[in-house]
Amino acid sequence: MSDGQLTPDQVGQSVRRVESRDKVTGRADYIHNLRLPGMLHAKIFRSRVAHGKIVRIDTSMARDFPGVHSVITGEDVLRLIPSPYFGPAFHDQPVLAIGKVHFIGEPVAVVLATDPHVAEEAAGMIDAEYEELPAVFDEIEAMTSRAIVHDELRPAGTFPDLKHLKGRKNTNVALDFKLRRGDVVKGFAEADHVFEHRFTIQPVMHTPLEPMISLGEPDGDGLIIHSATQMPSFVRIEIARLLGWNEGRVRVKSSLLGGGFGAKVYIKLEALAAALALLARRPVRVALTMEEQFYTITNHAATMRIKSGVMRDGRIHARSCEIWWNGGAYADIGPRITQKSGFTAAGPYSIEHVHIDSYAIYTNLPPAGAMRGFGIPQLVWGYESHTDLIARELGLDPLAFRQLNALKEGQEHATGTPMRDAAIDLVLEELGRRMTWGASFDRGQGTVRRGRGIAIGIKACISPSTSFAMVNVSADGSATLYFNTVDMGQGSDTAMSQIAAQTLRIPMDKIKVVRADTAVTPYDMGTLGSRSTFHMGHAMHLAAQDARSKIDAMAQELGLPVRETPIDALFRKKFGMSAGNVVGVGHYTAPYVPVDPETGLSPDITPNWMVGATGVEVEVDTETGHLKVLRLVSVADAGKAINPGIVATQLSGAAIMSLGGALLEHMQYTEGELTNGSLAYYKIPAMHDIPEAMEGGIVESAQATGPFGAKGVGESASFGVAPAIANALEHALGIRITTLPLTPEVIYRALREAEGRALAEE
Amino acid sequence: MALLSADHADWRPMGGGTALMLMMKAGVLRPQGLVSLRGIGGTSRRITLQADGALHIGAQVTLSELEHSADVRRAAPAIVRAMRRLSNVRVRNVATVGGNLAHGDPHMDLPPLLSALEAHVVASSQRGERRVAVDALISGYYETALAKDELITELVVPSQRQRSSAYLKVTTRSADDWPALGIAASLRVEGGAVQSCRLFIGAATDHPIRLTDAEQLLTDRKPDAALLARAGDAAADAANFIGDAQGSAAYKKQLLRVYLGRAVTAAMDNTADGDPR
Repeated sequence: MSDGQLTPDQVGQSVRRVESRDKVTGRADYIHNLRLPGMLHAKIFRSRVAHGKIVRIDTSMARDFPGVHSVITGEDVLRLIPSPYFGPAFHDQPVLAIGKVHFIGEPVAVVLATDPHVAEEAAGMIDAEYEELPAVFDEIEAMTSRAIVHDELRPAGTFPDLKHLKGRKNTNVALDFKLRRGDVVKGFAEADHVFEHRFTIQPVMHTPLEPMISLGEPDGDGLIIHSATQMPSFVRIEIARLLGWNEGRVRVKSSLLGGGFGAKVYIKLEALAAALALLARRPVRVALTMEEQFYTITNHAATMRIKSGVMRDGRIHARSCEIWWNGGAYADIGPRITQKSGFTAAGPYSIEHVHIDSYAIYTNLPPAGAMRGFGIPQLVWGYESHTDLIARELGLDPLAFRQLNALKEGQEHATGTPMRDAAIDLVLEELGRRMTWGASFDRGQGTVRRGRGIAIGIKACISPSTSFAMVNVSADGSATLYFNTVDMGQGSDTAMSQIAAQTLRIPMDKIKVVRADTAVTPYDMGTLGSRSTFHMGHAMHLAAQDARSKIDAMAQELGLPVRETPIDALFRKKFGMSAGNVVGVGHYTAPYVPVDPETGLSPDITPNWMVGATGVEVEVDTETGHLKVLRLVSVADAGKAINPGIVATQLSGAAIMSLGGALLEHMQYTEGELTNGSLAYYKIPAMHDIPEAMEGGIVESAQATGPFGAKGVGESASFGVAPAIANALEHALGIRITTLPLTPEVIYRALREAEGRALAEE
Repeated sequence: MALLSADHADWRPMGGGTALMLMMKAGVLRPQGLVSLRGIGGTSRRITLQADGALHIGAQVTLSELEHSADVRRAAPAIVRAMRRLSNVRVRNVATVGGNLAHGDPHMDLPPLLSALEAHVVASSQRGERRVAVDALISGYYETALAKDELITELVVPSQRQRSSAYLKVTTRSADDWPALGIAASLRVEGGAVQSCRLFIGAATDHPIRLTDAEQLLTDRKPDAALLARAGDAAADAANFIGDAQGSAAYKKQLLRVYLGRAVTAAMDNTADGDPR
């Protein structure tokens, strides 16, 4: 196809993913496959104590083991980095434990060897002695416990709203976010009915199939970090800060990821890989096993108390929510979840009086951080279970009750931000249509009962944040894209290529994506929070527009027909041969007004709202409690689907992942010790567990401020899976379960209890 | 065989290694040496259906070879049906019949099923060969009747012509999880009445056990819902359940009450794969 010819629209087409051929033929590059000359392998020795002072670490046997290069402890790291504590919200996490250990599984020492098996064997020879301290594991107990996880809070300083916590002692509360709208006490007094419920949600793990991996490689006076990270730019900034270097000396290279789901954001192994490589003066590979991932990051277990005042006509008049987030031993990004998801805790509903208290809490468990949904699934579990309980109590149809209270265009969200382009009503309508909600439903009989349920959630896109992109057009009319969004399976390489192709007016096959490399690709906040389509989509669109306008200017300057002249002809005429480049740049920062620290309110809290709803039909065996999801419908507001085929797989992927947390997954601890930390004992959904009938509905309600009207959808289908199932379960059996996961035994026990003949404990 | 003799007390044989490698990675087993059985060819890799209807299955036959064997499908279809949800295809492609039976993990699916089918293994050592019935093979939690220097070399499933059988795997998390209860029923039925039956369970108890009380209740009777419920209760009251991550003892007991009848019904049907999910 000649460049001069009109290229058909790329945006909105389900074009094939640009990386799929490489993936299915085994050619795709992963950091996991990288081997560097002279590389050492690191194996981590971990704490067996939940909370304790380190008395002694005996590394002598490991050091003397044949083949061992060296053994590194926190003391060695201190010689290199005077204050080796990292974290996006709090500088609380040491590269290796210093002075104290805070959870079972915390890295205490590392063995380096050329042979990974030697390193592993030697790591088993390290012996550590601790003086045990009182430990706390439950988020509610930690509010008042005498066991204090950290002696002193150390906010990172990057977030102004954490400043008041600096130096605070004798507390496990890392952040206490509050939102105050109206007068909730008055609201409850005015309400005709008041309902109050409490819900808990269990810890689960992201389970990316490519376990975390980072390699450090000394490079002259600098350092290269090869890492399976979702955030190359952040890693560079944070490693440079730790080392006291300028950013240019740190080069971070990422690649395709074998899944991320939020597990690979901020610093995970990168600080350790950097320290080890600089101490050993050799490349060092830090690769976790699947089992070790369980000790690295989890989602937040949480407890939520929710209370609503409802008027006779079904309008929700007042709502108060308290949420306690179990953040584990290090804050990671938990305080951000506590605030940025916390402010949506009252749901997608128009409520006059809202009162939210959201607490990020330290405990002696592995650190909790971002996981697909960023806290929203925990909140939706609470508020959408609560919604159905109210509807049932008042004899209202669950869909109609939601529609009555749903926030409409222009109405103020609890934060005070007016709702813009959040298709809550359209998503509910589409869900109702796909579920044939108005039609009669076979409830089953005898020992096989059936029910159906729905749930809807909203999420605010992270703000403020910035993306940069660069488009380099070569003299032959092909283009190379430089940007730091990491394709971890969500299809961003394809979406950005579509946006660039359409804007440059060249075909997709003339576009090549450069993998994130901070020495080459410009800054991006990170691949997280479903922000890339919106933010990087904007930046890429602007960069491509910039390049296209320079090309058009070139045509004008050469006196050739603008737009109609093929790009390669322009370059040949201007430079006398096929030579030169046109570089377009673009960046985007969404508008944002910080929240008032006293009220939690802001007139502009987010650039866009994600809206996701789930409907399920379930069948339950009343003799055993086995629940089968017969049908699962996900509906999301995509704004405009850049690639509808990829949007559909994002919806099904999020839904299946969430089924795991709803029905199967549960990291189980005994006194802080994980008892099922391997895939043999921690089960995630596999082929046989996927509902036979799954559908994804895309609502295209243009996001006026989005690139081509688009917004992100990577998390939307994760919001409502668990409460939709619990709601369907109540529809089927009349029992309400307020904990997760909904295992057959949990369901069967609840049934027996409802019948007044509870099953024996053991 | 010599490699497994008393001179090498800490050496262990390895078939597909699917269980052994997990145990070694977890650090619960640290053998001094491993003896790969991969090189053993001949009959140990073959499945033979004899004229009398008996299946002779070499110990090195993989579970997926079992799953896809036309002879097994013809002679003992319950084995083929049990395979679909026995772990996953990657494990079935390398795990061997011999290794599966010698492992002694109470959660295994094959021991209760093969016990119900009245199968036996041939255990070989330098001292010679002996027959061990599968229902006597696993003697406790990870304990078997095999001596340290003995290897399972063959599995023999006698003719099933008079019988119909089923194995139901009941999981409580993912479909490919270890079962909370595995139950096998093998029946000889005439005119709707049970002439004889063999009922075994795995996973719910510390090793596979035979449900003799239930067998007695069912023998010479036409099973109806009431009888099956009574048999389920009898079985549940007789067994000593252990709770684990798949379910508490009380819940497993309930599962057996319910699933005993379902397994007998599935066996009489002789086509159902008994997938409860």
